[in-house]
Order: sequence, then structure tokens, then C-alpha cells
Amino acid sequence: MALDLLPTSFIFLIGALVLLILPQGKPRAALLLLLPVAAAVQVLTLPLGTFAQTPFFGLTLDMMRVDKLSRVFALMFCLAAFLGNLYAWHVRDTIQQVAALLYAGSAIGAVFAGDLITLFFYWEGTALASVFLIWARRTEGAYHTGMRYLIVQISSGVILLAGTALFYSETGSLAFDRMTLGSLATWLMLLSFGIKCAFPLLNNWLQDSYPAATVTGTVILSAFTTKLAVYALARGFAGTEILIYVGAVMAVVPIFFALIENDLRRVLAYSLNSQLGFMVVGVGIGTEMALNGTASHAFASILYKALLFMTVGAVLFRTGTSKASELGGLYRTMPRTALFCLVGAASISAVPLFSGFVTKSLILDEAAAQHYPVIWAILIFASVGALAHSSIRVPFAAFFSRDSGKRPAEAPMHMQLAMGITALLCILIGVFPEPLYALLPYAVDAHPYTTGHVVAQLQLLAFALLAFGVLVRAGLYPTQTRGITLDTDWSYRRLFPWIITGVGQVVANTSNGFRSFWLRKLGRVIDGLYHSYGPEGRMARVWPTGAMVMWIAIVLGMTLVVSFAS
Amino acid sequence: MDTHTPAPKTAPEDTSGYPFLGRLFHQVDQPGRPNQIFRGLAGLCVLLFGLDFTYDKYGHFAVEYLPGVYGVFGLVMFTVMIFVAKAVRSLLKRPEGYYGDKSVDTEDYPADQLEKVNHNGA
Repeated sequence: MALDLLPTSFIFLIGALVLLILPQGKPRAALLLLLPVAAAVQVLTLPLGTFAQTPFFGLTLDMMRVDKLSRVFALMFCLAAFLGNLYAWHVRDTIQQVAALLYAGSAIGAVFAGDLITLFFYWEGTALASVFLIWARRTEGAYHTGMRYLIVQISSGVILLAGTALFYSETGSLAFDRMTLGSLATWLMLLSFGIKCAFPLLNNWLQDSYPAATVTGTVILSAFTTKLAVYALARGFAGTEILIYVGAVMAVVPIFFALIENDLRRVLAYSLNSQLGFMVVGVGIGTEMALNGTASHAFASILYKALLFMTVGAVLFRTGTSKASELGGLYRTMPRTALFCLVGAASISAVPLFSGFVTKSLILDEAAAQHYPVIWAILIFASVGALAHSSIRVPFAAFFSRDSGKRPAEAPMHMQLAMGITALLCILIGVFPEPLYALLPYAVDAHPYTTGHVVAQLQLLAFALLAFGVLVRAGLYPTQTRGITLDTDWSYRRLFPWIITGVGQVVANTSNGFRSFWLRKLGRVIDGLYHSYGPEGRMARVWPTGAMVMWIAIVLGMTLVVSFAS
Repeated sequence: MDTHTPAPKTAPEDTSGYPFLGRLFHQVDQPGRPNQIFRGLAGLCVLLFGLDFTYDKYGHFAVEYLPGVYGVFGLVMFTVMIFVAKAVRSLLKRPEGYYGDKSVDTEDYPADQLEKVNHNGA
């Protein structure tokens, strides 16, 4: 098979097999870097069109539908795989190495899927591969978290399969193209995508699982699953208005959790959830510019979010904790990591000259242009939220704030390199957005660096920072305290087990009472019979005759009933 | 051990062992520096507010034409957000062992997967 006919995902899948025969160490680490580069080269050189069509039980699977939308997502996944693997250069765990490759390969395979069956296979592939990045932590807590994660992810796949089957029976088509909500099939598919995209109330698998993964696993997890879901929504449900409101809720609600959570990796998971809200709003608006905004923001978000997870991961790697209550003042001995964190912070809060500024503005401007004033205001509120939880809280808690007394060494060189390249990309995209704009699905006519845009954004951020300063000086800014925050996982970790245990108790008590009642009744009947027919009973005197007469009467009675009935 | 007791607050912190960038960042931590930064930030806000009068605004909504509207929005929303978050915390915060011992919140990260090295190699 010629290389240009090989599905890009196969580069990762074959690479995972080759990895197993290589000795552990630099050869494997080098292969882990080489594969995403090879995949990116293939994606960039492939012409647009549909390739690698494969017969499958009388159907034709389109394994490589290359268009500008799938191409930009595939490229960002290749980039994320490269940076994640560079960050994980020190890892000598075969499970994590293979899982990282299969996960990236599955995500890219799903992005290029031209039909729903191919999408389903890769959709489940991402679930199965990624859970090993959680289990690789090898603790009991991680095992249970991984099980919860897997159940949710597999459920998403099963719902997608059910939707696909119904869709095929309704339309006779398996093509994965834009759909219109209205049938059970399309609602099921939206639900499936919504689970992976961490829609409101379906979100908590994300905040539950990402902080439970390994140091490097969280960085890799942050890139693929949710952005794949954003792609699936953009492909299947662009212009579906309900997504505007779903996205707005997504952008706002996680902010409050991110502000009070103690584990900084969980703070970033909530922050990621909020950023997904921007993308979902873009999908819901569905115009060419809004979809450009969604794709570009996904690209930028993968980078700055990975960067923030990398910096907190480096802190965890060096100190053994990512809890805000135990950190602080690490800039002293981890200044480069602190600097990279500040670059990620500036990017997520859309400071001019950083990546978030040139991508978020596409969605905000389009929300305004399409006359959604409330949604526009909500997204600006969410931008202030991003500043509050990711740009202030994370760097402040980990690197500045009070001195925790910890004096860890700077992050290892390969981690610094990964963070440095990612930070550089965040700045380059912010300063020179045109190359990213050129990759987007539609022609871009955006000018983020107008005086109005820049002044408005700087005003928003500077005044919000001023509010932070006032609150800190007044002692009103919340302190870092140990603890967890209840979220929707409370329902299946506490409420449902409590209900099931309660119902089980009631059923068991009822069953026991019922059984003992009838046993007592039966005992009394047996005692009565024993009293009359037992050795000491009245009938014992004529026992053989009496018993014989009784049984004859019973048999005759039954015969009479049977004869009458027939 | 990856930690040591910080020097008493009364004595100036010995930064000689920190990397150059660490010493640079430490300037922010000098006594009185937070006040200077706050005043600088307030000055920047005034400047940005003033800038609103120097160019022709373009917006989709009438509210965008008000001077300093983004600044006021940012200031108010940030404050509101913090107070709402504090209220949410009082409702939803629980101790780390709330979900029992099969939760990562109560576990130490496996030491064999970390490289806890002290800055000076100690």
C-alpha cells in the first residue's frame, strides 16, 4: 500500500507495534517523536478528497476523508502528540507509551472518518487507549477512577452505535456529515458527542479522571478526547442553535468550580471545560467564521492547555503534589516553569500577542455579529473567568503567593523543552495568526489587532486584575484550603450507591418479613397436621385406614376436577 | 526531603543560590513591591480608560460605545465571580476523604514515578 493511501491512524497503530520490539530508552522515545512528525507530513502533503475506502460487510468505509476541517484537527492532534511525547521523554513505561500512540492514532482516525461506523471504531479506540494513562498511575484510587472513566466513555460509544443504527434504518446512509436534530438517532448522536465534549451535567468524568492520570498522561489526555468531540459536533451539528446555549452554560459554570478546587490539575480540567464552551458556542452559531473560530480556538486551546498542564505536571513531578494548599513560592527554584506557566496563563486569558487573543475573538465577534448579545456578554464573562482561575489562580498558587518552603529543582530539560516549544507556539500564533488562519476550514477575514479590540481586551483584563488586587488587600480573596468539591460525580459515587443500598435494604427486609410470615403459617399447619395425624394424634389410632381414606378422597377429588375441566 | 524550613521573615531571604530568573522574579516579592504593583496597575487602568476617548469605536451593540465599559464589566464581574465562588465553596466543599479511601484525593502520588530533587541537589 502506498504511503499516501495508508490511513494516518495506521502510522500510529503500526508504530505502536514497532515500539514493542525496540529496546526501552532513547530508541523508543525517539520513535514516539518521529511518528507524529511523519503523520503531520502525510497530512500536510495529502490532497483534499476521500481515500482508503474499505469494504466492510457490504458497506464501504471511508477511512480518510481529508478536507480542511478534518485536516486542521488532525494537524493539531499530531502537534499535541509530539509535544506530549517530548514531555514524556523520561517515561519508561511501555503501557503509557503504547497507550499514547494508540490514543493519538484513534483520535486522528476518528477525525478522518467519513462514515459513522469508522467513527464508532475510533471513538471507542480513544476510550480504550486513554484509560491506560490513568491506570498507569498504579494506585487503587486511579484504578477506580479509570473504571468510572471507562464506563462513561464506553457508554458514549454505545450510544453513538445505537444512534448510527437508527440513522441507517431511517436514511439508509452511514455518511458522517451535517445532520439535523429531530429524530431519536440524531439526538442519540448528539448525546454521545456531548458526553465526550463534557456538556453540562455530563462533564464530571473529565474533572474526575484527568487529575488521576500520571504526570504525563494528563498532558496527553487534555488534548484529544474533548477536541475530538468538538470536531464531531462541528462536523455533524454545525448551526444547531441549542448548542449556543449549551456552550454558554459550559463556559460559565465550570468557572466557579475552578475557583474553589484545591487540586490544580482539577482546576485546569474545569478551565478546559469552560474553554470547550467557547468552541461549542461557535459550533452552535455555525457560520463559516464561527466554525473558523471553533477550529482555531481548539488549536490554540490544545497548546495553552497542554502548556498549563505541563507546568503543573512539572510541579507534581518535582514536589509530589499539585494541591494549591501545599504549594506556593516555587518561582524561586523553578523560574522557567513559572515563566512558561505565565505564558500559558496569558494565552488562555487572551492577552494581546498571545494565542487566545486571536482565536477567541473570532467566536466573540461572530456571536456579536449574529446578534446574540446575551451569549456575547456571557463569553466575555467567561473570559474574565479564564483570567481568574487559570491566569491568576494557577500561577499564583503554585509559583507565587505564600512561600511553601519547598525548593524543588527546575523541571527536567526535556520537560522544559516541551514547555518552551509550546510556549513559543502560543506566542507565535498570537503575533502571527495568519499561518493558523490559512489552515482553517474557510477563508478568514479577521483583524484582531484593531485599536478597539486591543484596548477593550486590555481594559477587561487590567480592571479584573485590579479587582483581584483589591480583594487580596481587603482579605476577601479565598484562601487555599484542603478539600474536594462536590460535582455531578456525587450522584454516582454517593447518591446512587446510597439509593441502591437503601432500596436493597428495604427489599431484603420485606423479603425476610414475608418469608418468616409464611414460614410461621406453614409451621402452624404442620403442627396442626402433626397434632391430628402424628403418632400421638387422634387419627393415629386409625392411622392406616384414616390416611388411606384421606388420600383416596384427594385423588378422587382431583380426578373430578380434571374430568370437569376437560 | 524535598523541603526545608524557610528563613525567618525578619531576615532578608538569601537568594544567592536561586537561578538568575528566580532572583529576577524575587524582586516582585520584595517588601512594599505589591503596593507598587497595585498602584502601577491602577495607573494602567486609568490610562486604558483614557485611551477610550482617543479613537473611533466600532461595536455591534450600543453598550460598547460607552467609555470604559469593558473595564467596568471586568472589575464588577471578577468581584461577583469571586463572591459567588465563595458561596459555592461553602455549599460544596468537603474533606478529602469524603469519597473514602479508594479515591486519588487521599493518596500520595507514587514516589517511584516522580523525581523529587531538591534545588541544590540535596
